[in-house]
Amino acid sequence: MNLPKIDLSSLPDLDTLTGLFGSLLHTSRIVESDDSIVQLMAYVYETTIH
Amino acid sequence: MFANPELRALRRDDSPQCDAQVALLQAMDDWRARPDVAILLAELEEFSAGAELEQCPGLAALFTPGSDAARELTTGFSAMTCAALAEWPLGHVTLRHFTDGVTSTILLARAVNVTLSLVAIDGEGLGLRPESATASFGPNHTWEHVLGGSAAVELIECLPTGPRQAKLSRREIEIGPGSIQFRDGQRDARLLRRIDGALVTLRLQRRRPNADATREYDLTSGALLHQAAGNPRDSRLELMLALLGRMDRKDAAPHMAGLACGEASAALRWQALRECLALDTQLGFTALATIATRTEDALSGPAGALRAQLIEAHPQLQELEPCPM
Repeated sequence: MNLPKIDLSSLPDLDTLTGLFGSLLHTSRIVESDDSIVQLMAYVYETTIH
Repeated sequence: MFANPELRALRRDDSPQCDAQVALLQAMDDWRARPDVAILLAELEEFSAGAELEQCPGLAALFTPGSDAARELTTGFSAMTCAALAEWPLGHVTLRHFTDGVTSTILLARAVNVTLSLVAIDGEGLGLRPESATASFGPNHTWEHVLGGSAAVELIECLPTGPRQAKLSRREIEIGPGSIQFRDGQRDARLLRRIDGALVTLRLQRRRPNADATREYDLTSGALLHQAAGNPRDSRLELMLALLGRMDRKDAAPHMAGLACGEASAALRWQALRECLALDTQLGFTALATIATRTEDALSGPAGALRAQLIEAHPQLQELEPCPM
């Protein structure tokens, strides 16, 4: 059978989208910081070759 | 630029810092090896595996009214840490900690989906922040014991009345030293409204595995504002699905079909289905048709609609049957 190639962008999302774990709409609630909130941090390392 | 001579010397020879770190690690290991702490850590593992709090007497004592266990644990920990830092000021406390100037936390112990943390929130800093106009409800259980300070808190109970709406009951209470609260995160939220001084609490939290989403509602209207994955595993898998899809990894399609038809949150299963359809039409469509036929499945409605839409666009798909699972 010759099947069509389906384009991902043509496939709908569910009515209510679900964000990534830890995402919040209102970050002012960060004072209630607990296990349900993720903070992303960038680290810069300086390395020295001895 | 001024650099402390002791710190400047570390550029040439970092052994004092390494020694301090070894000493701090040793101090933490010694603390964990104390009989009372070792019992707690073992119980934390049992609690993570699903035991009730009452079955873990050491942990339960931390959240029992009138018990001194929480104070003894935290003062013992603070005394140990301060003594180690006083002796080794170049050392770094080897426990996960965080502060933004208002909220400070240190993770005393962790077992998979369970955390035991010491939390301090500064009342003055809290007063400068805008009052929260939303409340979040997520799949976790929290026990909290106030060790110091007092606060006015708003307790919010959530009763979902539809997919995008909830009835929120709100009441304000005062908490102070010795107050102990339990919250079922899917039903109860707590917002701090005012703190006198600093509020210091010991917090035990257990996240439910394979749980439903976290939902954020508007306090006034009860409207759903945002929904997020209830556990990090779902988000990790969703990122993997997207990556494998962009890499055109057709060999991942059977796994995606399995995930779509298996036990997981609806959001994750739907993304697995989409990626599977785009990678392998036959496998993806068979999974879609299977889900559409399961009347008790939360995704059967959207799957049925998508199946009809795809058949209209590509009539030959009608010949593919649902897989017998």
